[in-house]
Amino acid sequence: MGEVTVNTEWLSDCSGCHIAIVDLHEKILNVLQAVKIQRCPVLTDIKGYPHATVGLVSGAIRNEHDRYAAIEMRKACDVVIAWGSCAVFGGPAGAGNLHTPAEIGQAVYLENKTTTSAPPPSSMVSPLESVVSPLDTVIDVDLYLPGCPPHPVFVLEALSALVEGREPQVSRRAVCAKCKRRMEKTEVTKIRSNSDGIPDPEQCFLSQGYACLGSVTIDRCLAPCPTNGVPCTGCAGATMQILTEPNRDIRTEVAERMSRLTKIDRDEIVSALERSAKSHYSYTMATSMIGNKPTFHIRRWIEDEQADHEAGESV
Amino acid sequence: MSLEITVHEQSCRGCELCIDICPTKVFALDEEKRLCTVVHGEDCIACLSCSYICPSGAISHRDFHLVKNFYRDEEFCKKMEKFL
Repeated sequence: MGEVTVNTEWLSDCSGCHIAIVDLHEKILNVLQAVKIQRCPVLTDIKGYPHATVGLVSGAIRNEHDRYAAIEMRKACDVVIAWGSCAVFGGPAGAGNLHTPAEIGQAVYLENKTTTSAPPPSSMVSPLESVVSPLDTVIDVDLYLPGCPPHPVFVLEALSALVEGREPQVSRRAVCAKCKRRMEKTEVTKIRSNSDGIPDPEQCFLSQGYACLGSVTIDRCLAPCPTNGVPCTGCAGATMQILTEPNRDIRTEVAERMSRLTKIDRDEIVSALERSAKSHYSYTMATSMIGNKPTFHIRRWIEDEQADHEAGESV
Repeated sequence: MSLEITVHEQSCRGCELCIDICPTKVFALDEEKRLCTVVHGEDCIACLSCSYICPSGAISHRDFHLVKNFYRDEEFCKKMEKFL
């Protein structure tokens, strides 16, 4: 392979994937020796889409500009990598699919409780599309690298493999594989919310009754959250076994393990996770891989939660 | 060729779920290291229950007859090899 050129593009996302390049620290020098970075919104001032060997596209397709940019990247790049959970699964913006763009505009601009109301912008800003789309529903994608953002070691491995013309070496283990908490059986009988009490810093969150998504989430992060006291929120998307099998689901797989580690009933855990489904599925609900599962009924779960809330029985 | 079953040591959390679920009692807990280890690999029938329940995805099997799931997400299966 001759000189490897790289374009990156940033669609609807928070910028974290691009910032993760900087987290390569001095290793970025190795990357810069091996590849030539061309278009890269945070590093270079190239506005067009020059031809490149590799195209890293982060972010979901949320508006007309995203769609245009994704198509231009596909035309310009030999290999396109869906980079980060927004590009792969739709990301947190996917929760917007539960509402129309008009409802979102109303809530954000006209009824926003924390700022002065103003009409939604109608010029100079690309209009929202009716739904949030993962990258591969708009263009062909050659490789998928989930993660929010993917830890720089995975970006480095992906780029190194492409430079060296070999298969990338990455494991498909879950976040628990990198978490050092003690996973053990306990007598816990009650599910706890994240704000409920102070968790034992050494013991697994599931053992303590906290819903942690580490066991259902592919490790593209090296487990910083559970290591630092925060239960996993599943930002890198689901494990391969959940994505391949329609009857396996994030909430049922967590419940399966948690009910075996604690004395909490499996169905109770499933129900509790459904009640907070907008959080647990926030990164992946826009993708057909999760959104089209026969077990995924988010609208019904939200209606149930709303009905209970109105009846004064909110959990 | 015989069936081989391995537990990735660094990834094992010692939760014992594989010990509980295995129908042929292949695993035992190494109390000292707090890790689940394979003690009767020859009894493994490759049902893969341990592999599915393991929170870390630490258990892998080699040289077994793989039967494709009848019920699978075909659309995702086509993409799976492209996942890094």
